Amino acid sequence: MSIKFAILGILAERDLHGYELKSSFDEKVGEFWSLNYGQIYSTLDRLEKEELVTHDRHVQDKRPDRKIFSITPQGREELEKWLSTPLNKVRALRDEFFVKLVFMDKSSPVPILELIEKQKVLYLKHMNRLTSRKVALKKKSGSLDDLTTELLIDAGLLHAEAAIKWLGLCELKIRAAFESNPPLRRI
Amino acid sequence: MIELRNAGKMYRQGAREIYALRDVSLVIKKGEFLSIMGPSGSGKSTLLNLIGGLDQPTSGEIFIDSTPLHGISDNELTLIRRRNVGFVFQFFNLLPLLTAAENVGLPLLLDGESFSLVKPKAESILRKVGLGERIDHRPEQLSGGEMQRVAIARAIIGNPAVLLADEPTGNLDSHTSEEIFLLLKSLNEQGQTIVMVTHDPKAAAYGTRIVTLKDGTTSQDISIGGEES
Repeated sequence: MSIKFAILGILAERDLHGYELKSSFDEKVGEFWSLNYGQIYSTLDRLEKEELVTHDRHVQDKRPDRKIFSITPQGREELEKWLSTPLNKVRALRDEFFVKLVFMDKSSPVPILELIEKQKVLYLKHMNRLTSRKVALKKKSGSLDDLTTELLIDAGLLHAEAAIKWLGLCELKIRAAFESNPPLRRI
Repeated sequence: MIELRNAGKMYRQGAREIYALRDVSLVIKKGEFLSIMGPSGSGKSTLLNLIGGLDQPTSGEIFIDSTPLHGISDNELTLIRRRNVGFVFQFFNLLPLLTAAENVGLPLLLDGESFSLVKPKAESILRKVGLGERIDHRPEQLSGGEMQRVAIARAIIGNPAVLLADEPTGNLDSHTSEEIFLLLKSLNEQGQTIVMVTHDPKAAAYGTRIVTLKDGTTSQDISIGGEES
């Protein structure tokens, strides 16, 4: 998926070896997305097979050769195409919390309401951390890279806010459902 | 420091007793930025009114720097409030005929200081909140965000022990809101104690501590203080 395009995007700026590529990736989007070297190298392999990336071998004294990767004209074309295409597939809800909700205890609302409360606190803490990062970022004079980081933080905040609102709604609806329709006692 | 000990607020409606707030105990330390969060009807505004001395509890005690805010006359309460508390509201509450500097200086003018002494103070605070170019403008000549900055400047001109904000960005767009929160955050980093009530988690997240209210009493107390937890 988009690991491919993140790598193409980084290589479109300049040629890099694998280690530098990973550092650049971490610096740009690492806050939201962590990758290991294995994923980076396997993606690079695939990109080379697709002829979107190529490499030069640099001979080093007493050390294994170093591969410097660069983007091919085809790779650039593919990247441009991807950058200008909106996302057609909106991400589906696949939150683990949703699964818990499906399997919740149907005889009493108490456990799930307690869980909702705890989950809301975790989201609030998460928002607090993101906000601290944003405040720190705003104190520096902003480069465009800082702006993209800030926008990613904003996205994180809005997602967490939506989650908190949704949990609040779950709480209200679960309460109402149990009040109007108390669980049947098994005989 | 502000301390609430089992503070409550009860209203009578005929024979019924309605608790807007019950049995709240809370210590707000100097230098804290406390967000009080909760849905409407949870008691947040009642709590803010008690902390700010706009109202007195029907049970329990409240102290601001060891001075009691309960069991005293309305005149005494007004005096304590004027000396210790700065307020920022959702709808700015600026006087339309006064300039920004006059609005900001108003609390000191009411205390009997002369405008020639107050004006340079008001101007320096307006510069501090980023309105050095708007000193002689009237509210109608200012944007919403600028009006709220004037209101914040007015709230802090008397060096209050605590700045209380009631949904301070409820009437502003999200980008302008962020600028107001960054201003509050920087005032807090310079030592200003702030208590803000809000229903908005984005706003609450600027606090160093978040207390949530539910049905008139505290339900969660989340201390974070900034970085990783």
